[in-house]
Amino acid sequence: MSTVILIVDDDTDMCWALEHLLSRQGFITLKALSAQEALDLMSRHRFSWALLDAKLPDMDGLELARRIRTAAPDTRIVMVSGYFYRDDVAVQEAISQGLIIDFISKPFLQNEILEALKS
Amino acid sequence: MNESLDSLHNGPESQRYRKLYEMLLEAIPSSVLLIDRDIRIALANRNFLEKNRLTLADTIGNRLDAVFPAIIIDQMNFPGRIRQVFEKGFRIKGERMTYRAPGIPLRIYYYSILPFSWRGGVELAMLLMDDVTEQVRLSEEVRRVERHLASVVESAQDIVLSTDMQGQILTWNTAAEKLSGFTLHAVRGRNFFDFCAEDHQGEMKRIFVNLQAGKEAQMAELDLKTKDNGRIPVSWICSPMKDHLGQTAGVVAVGRDLTERCKFEAQLLQSQKLAALGVMAGGIAHEIRNPLAVCGSAAQFIMEDDISPEFRRECAQKIYTGIQRASMIIENLLRFARPSVKPDIKKINLNALLEETLSLVTNQARIQKIELRVQLPPEPVLINGMEALLQQAFMNLLLNAIKAMPDGGVLSLTLGKTDGEAWISINDTGQGIAPRDLHNIFDPFYTTAPVGQGTGLGLSICYSIIQQHFGTISVDSAAAQGSTFVVRLPLL
Repeated sequence: MSTVILIVDDDTDMCWALEHLLSRQGFITLKALSAQEALDLMSRHRFSWALLDAKLPDMDGLELARRIRTAAPDTRIVMVSGYFYRDDVAVQEAISQGLIIDFISKPFLQNEILEALKS
Repeated sequence: MNESLDSLHNGPESQRYRKLYEMLLEAIPSSVLLIDRDIRIALANRNFLEKNRLTLADTIGNRLDAVFPAIIIDQMNFPGRIRQVFEKGFRIKGERMTYRAPGIPLRIYYYSILPFSWRGGVELAMLLMDDVTEQVRLSEEVRRVERHLASVVESAQDIVLSTDMQGQILTWNTAAEKLSGFTLHAVRGRNFFDFCAEDHQGEMKRIFVNLQAGKEAQMAELDLKTKDNGRIPVSWICSPMKDHLGQTAGVVAVGRDLTERCKFEAQLLQSQKLAALGVMAGGIAHEIRNPLAVCGSAAQFIMEDDISPEFRRECAQKIYTGIQRASMIIENLLRFARPSVKPDIKKINLNALLEETLSLVTNQARIQKIELRVQLPPEPVLINGMEALLQQAFMNLLLNAIKAMPDGGVLSLTLGKTDGEAWISINDTGQGIAPRDLHNIFDPFYTTAPVGQGTGLGLSICYSIIQQHFGTISVDSAAAQGSTFVVRLPLL
């Protein structure tokens, strides 16, 4: 069974890049341009992974991660963001709390994403 | 006593004349001495005796040098002059004499010596002395005050000039000469308007029209021409000059050179701008790293061998678009950050200016989940102004609104026009301004932000920029209900 990955980013070109990268690796992807869209998709599908932007028009990425944690505890979350740095306190806390598994800053190497999904 | 005087005592008619003569002598506010050919005093009136603290007994029959100090007698050559009066019968008029009697303060007199002729011969010389000490003191005081006022005007670092009601220059002080390079000689009689910068002459004429109409002092910041074809910014206060009847007879203009202040203000504007950039930095970083990430990904796809020509083209297109997006953000940013050395007044389309300013804060608003509601009229709203300054003012207002909504909200910007005015309303749904802060928010360095998070300059700079554009800025706010700032600017 293929791994299904949710991509959440309000930048359509960003979604385009991630979709191509992941689908070429055989993953199935669905994209959401807002937190609300993401939660709607979560209620209808089971996702192994969610790649979240930190700043969405309707909700903070970390807040969305908290909601996903509650709604689907099995979904592993990686934050992909240009807003934070890896050593930002908010990011470090989210990782230590287990809210997100990894953090990747934009721009990224495609391998960073693929490596994160192996864990 | 002299023989001719004795004859006055004879007969009732003579007594009547004598009484009248004595009364005149005593009433006259001058000192009177009658002197005989031997230079002895034949008669002295009360005024003389009182002024010199003498009695009749000390005086009558004495020689002149027993009554006046020798030095005066010598200096004035009284005996010589009196002899001339006796010999030639002419009068000596209006000589000035400074006289210090022993034990009394210095007095200044005007004296005349007149011959008293009787039956073809000069019998007596009449020495008339008017005490002009007080008049001299007053006129010296007037001259001293005049000199003082002149030196105040001349020593002032500010320009002080006066004109008639039509603007013809009457006076022009040293500071005016130094700052403009034009001498008083070069400007006297010429019209003051000719020395105002061409584009500011109309405004200066308007001030004179107001003063002619009886208005009080008028203030304005208008440039003065200099001899080397340059111009200097000057802050003027033009006041009506009233004559003794209270009628406006001319204009006094006092002007302060603003060159240094303008430099300082430009520096202040620049530092405040950089502070605003700091606020925007988070949004900018986010916004630039998105297209960079897209470009990066697309480039990595292209580097793979097994991609279709279509996908390669798509990747190249994404890279191209991403670069354009990033460079647009940087360009806007640089345009905002660039110091506006000499802001030019030109026709500005407020619609375009506000759109460009909004584009700079869109990222920040998005990051804070702030919805932007923008209402711009379809037709352009035109004003005269300095583009970079107005952009800075609106940027400050927009960033303030965003800062007031850390948990998201709605930022509304509306542009409209009424009664010759353009109005811009910027409304947020944020924390609002406490009533106690409302009176101070336009004061420089007034801030409620924690140290390091606000300079307290943003709104004071808005205020001064809007004022420079002859506009107004007002605020309406209630705690927890958001704030509305309204800027009004005169339409072109």
